Amino acid sequence: MGEKDAILISKELKKNYGKLVAVDGVSLEIQPGQCVGLLGPNGAGKSTFIGMVYGATPRSGGELSVFGLDPQTNSRDIKKRVGVVTQEDCLDEAMTVQENMSMFARFSGVPSHEIERRVRKLLEFMALDHKRDASIRALSGGMKRRLVFVRALLAQPELIILDEPTTGLDPAVRHLLWEKVLELKEAGTTILLTTHYMDEAERLCERLIIMDQGKIREDAPPRELIERHCPGYVAHFRNREVGNTLHHYLSEHPEGVVYEDSAGVGVRGPDLPWISAMVSKIETAPEVVRPANLEDVFLKITGRGLGSHA
Amino acid sequence: MLETFSLSWRVAVRHWLIFRKDLFANVSPTIIDPTLFLICLGLGLGAYVNQVEGLSYARYVAPGLAVSTALFTAFFECSYNFYVRLTFENIYKAILTTPIGPREILFGEFIWIVLKGMGMTSMVTLWLVVFGFCHWEYALLMPILGGLVSFACGALGLIASSLVKNINQFQTVYSLVISPMFFFSGIFFPIKDLFWPLRWLANLSPFYHGVSLGQHILWARELGVGLAIHGSALLALSFLLGAIAYRRVHPLLYK
Repeated sequence: MGEKDAILISKELKKNYGKLVAVDGVSLEIQPGQCVGLLGPNGAGKSTFIGMVYGATPRSGGELSVFGLDPQTNSRDIKKRVGVVTQEDCLDEAMTVQENMSMFARFSGVPSHEIERRVRKLLEFMALDHKRDASIRALSGGMKRRLVFVRALLAQPELIILDEPTTGLDPAVRHLLWEKVLELKEAGTTILLTTHYMDEAERLCERLIIMDQGKIREDAPPRELIERHCPGYVAHFRNREVGNTLHHYLSEHPEGVVYEDSAGVGVRGPDLPWISAMVSKIETAPEVVRPANLEDVFLKITGRGLGSHA
Repeated sequence: MLETFSLSWRVAVRHWLIFRKDLFANVSPTIIDPTLFLICLGLGLGAYVNQVEGLSYARYVAPGLAVSTALFTAFFECSYNFYVRLTFENIYKAILTTPIGPREILFGEFIWIVLKGMGMTSMVTLWLVVFGFCHWEYALLMPILGGLVSFACGALGLIASSLVKNINQFQTVYSLVISPMFFFSGIFFPIKDLFWPLRWLANLSPFYHGVSLGQHILWARELGVGLAIHGSALLALSFLLGAIAYRRVHPLLYK
């Protein structure tokens, strides 16, 4: 697919707040129907990038086009086709669930005769219909999040932006939201998602972009990222004193990498036999042996942990 | 253009819906405060005051009380309320994800504050008419005046919102700007005998011109002169303050 089909094209996009550089030359394209995960530590520039996409934030440099339009001059027409789940809930606390939805439908330009039907359908979609007359203050955190999610669907957007949609939610609500995101994806909606949960990114996205300090560090499918950066297996030890032994072992077996983290010390090796050979040699049983995962990739790329010798 | 207006209108409707939810709490000060002023100042203090400008003291203060409703309504709406919507409730952050942009949000604020000022001023004026503290002939002009004063003072509130570092600082704005504007507006005594710098400063206050025009209207005196001098000054100041408010607040919504 070429540039013509892309619904989002960003070239050398920049954003400064005074001296602080929030987004520092981001170039990427998103094709229709893709589900793209935007990962990165806090302050990496993810939310700033998203704000520029739907025209809530002016850019400081570079080019940006969404649906072939410039968000700086034509955000209204872009926003008619985009649904945004903001990081904060931003609900109107003085209103009920139903009132919040109807008001947002009016803001989003849903035709008046359509509002009631669409609100009812969406509240059912997110199992919130029994709460339609409840005040926002009476909702749990998970319910609020679900409401913010369906609020973004009112205008039946072609592109949905989810800014940390499941932060702080219990597993049941996370799974419910994932299920709904996958339904939308099935229906062909393009999705741009930021998250700090690697399992979420791996489950939902076919493409991951890792940002750090305003720049794109990686842009690839999840499996490919793991293959490229952290192939193999990880053995983890709770006892940090094993560290010295491990370093010693690795000086003779340089295929592996040692890292320390808050929970202890770990070794990554190319495959399981390598790990078992190491374990029998150092005569200490690891607490856990597992395949390397996205979290390892993330920590490596963003400069903490595995492979960075931190 | 039509779409801009239609979207701005929806923002104003949102504020009205919230206002309506707590109608009694929101309207009661508008009715009760001027009533207390009328009783205490007009009838209480008025008993010791002969005549001001050839009027009983109650009749003297009446127009200013109606206009001051617009000042307080507008200032509080555009300072505390606006600031809370902007920073604590994140209302605008949510609205900005819809086709509504910063411009429509600001136009919506202005529409809302003008209509709110018109409504509140009308209620107090009606009160004054019922109790016979003013001439009713021109009272129909008061909602328009209230709307205009509300616009200018709302703009002041918005400017304050763009300057304060936290919500407590509105108290300082209130004491240094709004209170002096209120007391030196000619509402309680004619300012023509005041020390000249104070008079000069009063001329920069939209509220002074609003009160003066209100007095021309509700005392039914020299309406043409009032409109020519204070009407045009009020219009000019409203335009100026509105433009400053727009320029200062727009970057808070688009950053």
